[in-house]
Amino acid sequence: MGDLFSNLGLGFGVVFQFVQWSPAFLHGMSIPVPMNILLCLIGALVGTLVGVLPGIGTIATVAMLLPITFGLPPVGALIMLAGIYYGAQYGGSTTSILVNIPGEAGSVVTALDGFQMAKQGRAGPALAIAAIGSFFAGCVATVLIAVLGAPLTKLALAFGPAEYFSLMVLGLIFAVVLAKGSVLKAIAMIVFGLLLSMVGSDIETGASRMSFNIPELADGLGFATVAMGLFGFAEIIRNLDAGGEGDRELVQQKVTGLMPTRKDMKDSAPAILRGTVLGSILGILPGGGAVIASFAAYTLEKKLARDPSRFGRGAIEGVAAPESANNAAAQTSFIPLLTLGIPPNAVMALMVGAMTIHGIVPGPQVMQKQPELVWGMIASMWVGNLMLLVINLPLVGIWVRLLRVPYRLMFPSIVIFCCIGIYSVNNAPTDVVLAGMFGLIGYWLIKHDFEPAPLLLGMVLGPLMEENLRRALLISRGDATVFLTRPLSASLMAISAFLLVLALLPALRKKRDEVFVESES
Amino acid sequence: MSDMPSHVPDDSVLPNWIKAPQDFFGGLALVAIALFALWASSDLQGMHGFSFGAGTAPRMFGVLLLVLGFAIMVVGVLTEGPSLAVYAWRGPLFVSLAILSFAASIRPMGMIFSAMASFMIAALGTHETQWKETFIVGVCLTAFCALLFPYALGLPLQMLPSFLNR
Repeated sequence: MGDLFSNLGLGFGVVFQFVQWSPAFLHGMSIPVPMNILLCLIGALVGTLVGVLPGIGTIATVAMLLPITFGLPPVGALIMLAGIYYGAQYGGSTTSILVNIPGEAGSVVTALDGFQMAKQGRAGPALAIAAIGSFFAGCVATVLIAVLGAPLTKLALAFGPAEYFSLMVLGLIFAVVLAKGSVLKAIAMIVFGLLLSMVGSDIETGASRMSFNIPELADGLGFATVAMGLFGFAEIIRNLDAGGEGDRELVQQKVTGLMPTRKDMKDSAPAILRGTVLGSILGILPGGGAVIASFAAYTLEKKLARDPSRFGRGAIEGVAAPESANNAAAQTSFIPLLTLGIPPNAVMALMVGAMTIHGIVPGPQVMQKQPELVWGMIASMWVGNLMLLVINLPLVGIWVRLLRVPYRLMFPSIVIFCCIGIYSVNNAPTDVVLAGMFGLIGYWLIKHDFEPAPLLLGMVLGPLMEENLRRALLISRGDATVFLTRPLSASLMAISAFLLVLALLPALRKKRDEVFVESES
Repeated sequence: MSDMPSHVPDDSVLPNWIKAPQDFFGGLALVAIALFALWASSDLQGMHGFSFGAGTAPRMFGVLLLVLGFAIMVVGVLTEGPSLAVYAWRGPLFVSLAILSFAASIRPMGMIFSAMASFMIAALGTHETQWKETFIVGVCLTAFCALLFPYALGLPLQMLPSFLNR
C-alpha cells in the first residue's frame, strides 16, 4: 500500500514539475513553468478540437497529432499524447450528442440517447453528464492502474519468449472476438498487418525483406505513415462520397442550462457506477474493450431499467453508462501496454509507435528503469480527466461553432495537415506518397467491410511476435510443443483456442451481434 | 454501417453463383496480396536447423493470409451477402493528386507553395467547392501552417522554393 502512494506521489511530482523557462526577451531572467501540466492541457484541447470534427475518430485524431509531439522530451510527449487521446474521446462524444455523427464506434451508442436529449433542448445536461461520468470513471481507472501496475509487472518478469508469444496470440484473438463484424475478416486483417510488418530489414540477419531496393522501405513501413493513411486519408475519402453536407443535422438551438438537475444526477449515478465497473474490466482484457464496453453498458442499462422503452428517446442513463464505460476502458487499456508492453488496441498501438520513436521499448523494464515516465503518465491521466471537466464544459459553445464549419473547407485542410505531419517525421516525400497509397487501400478495405484497426494492431505486434517465436524455438531447439508444455504458455494458448471456438459457434455469435445491434437502429 | 452508399442493382454483370460479391472480391484481393508477398520473399533464406531464416516468418504469414483469403472467397460463394459498393471517383482521385503534388513539390518548392497548391487540388474533390471562399481559406491555412510548424512546433521545414534560398 505504501508503495502505491509513493508511486503515485512520484507520478504527481513529475506532472507538477516546474521547468525554468528563460526566453531571450527576458534577458537572462527565467520563469518557472509547469511544463507537463501545460502539455497535458494543450493535448486535451487540441485533441478535443480535432476529435470534435465530424467523421474523425479517436484513432485518426491521435495518428494526425502524433507528429506534433516528436520534438518534445519523452515524458512530455507521452503525457501530451495521453491528453490528446482523452480530448479526442471527449470530442467524439460531443459530436455524437450534438450532430448525431459518432466519430468512432465507441460513441455510437451515446448518439442514440444523447442526440435525442439534444433535440429536446437538453444538450447541456447530456454533455455535462458525459463529462462527469467520464471523470468519475477516469478517477476509478487511474487508481486501478496504479494498484494493478506493480504486481502485473512482476508477473511479466516471469514471462519467457514462449509466454510472450502466447500472450500476443491471446491478445489478437481477443481483438477478433471483441470486434464488430466477421471473425474471419478480422483475422485476415491481423495477418495482413503482420505481413506488412515484415517489410524492411530482418532484425537478426539484416537481410532486406520485400523492400524492392527502395531505400525508404529498407527500414520498414513507417508506423505513423500507415496509421495516417489508413485512418486519416481513408476517412476523408470515405466521408467525401458519403456526401459531407447532406446528413448533417446540427442541433440549432443554443446550448443553455449546462448543469443537470438533481433528478438527472440521481438517475445517472448508478448507471455511471455500473458503466465504470463494466468498462474497467473489459478494458484490461487484451484486445481492447473500449468499443464493446460502451455497447455492453448500454445493453445492461436497458435490461435493468424499469421502463426500457425510454431508451432511444433521451434517457440520461443511456448517455451516462456508455460514456463512463468507454472512458474507463480507454484508461484501463493502458495496463497491458505499461506492464506487459503489449498494445491491446489500435490507439495503444499508436502509443507504442510514439514510444519507439522516443527510443523507449514498452514493457516491464520501463516500469523499473524509468518509473518517472510510467507514473508520470498515470498521474497525468487523472489530471487530463480533470482538465476535460474544467475546460471543456465552458467551451462547449466553441465546439458547437466548429461543427458548423462546412466539410468542403475542412477536408482540404485536413489533407494538408496530414501531408505536412507525415513529411515532418522523416523529411521524406516518399512517406507522403506511401501514406496516400495506404489511404486508397484503407478506402478499399472500408468498401469491402474490412476493419482497418486489427491491421494496425497486427502491424505493431508483428516484429515482437516474430522475435519471441524465434527465440522460443531456438531455446527449445526447434521443438514447437514448447508453447503447450510450459504451463503458463499452455493456459494462455488454451484460452485463445477456447475463445476462438466460442466466437465461431453460431449461438455465441448471435449474442455478440445482439450487443452490437443498437448501432443499426 | 449506415453511412455506406447504396449498392449496385442486382442485374450486374457478375455471375450469380457469387452470392456475396463484396466478400468474394475482398478475399480474392487478399489472395493476390498473399501470392505477391510469397513471390517477393521467395529469394530469402528459409529455416536452417532450429533457427528461423529471414524468409521464414514472411512466408508463414503469407501462407496464412492465402488460406484466409480463400476462406473468405468460399464464404462469399456460399452465403448471401452484400453486393459490391459503388466507388466514387472524384474524392479519391483529387485527394490522391493533392497528396502526390505535395510529395513532388515540397522539396523543390518549399512548404508555402506546395501546401497552397495541394489545398486547391484537394478542394476539387467535391462539387460543392466555391472557389473564392476556398482560396481565402487556403491562404489563411497556409499562413497558419507557416507559423505553426516551424515556430510553434520547432520542425525544420523549408518554407520557400529552393532557388530563392541560393
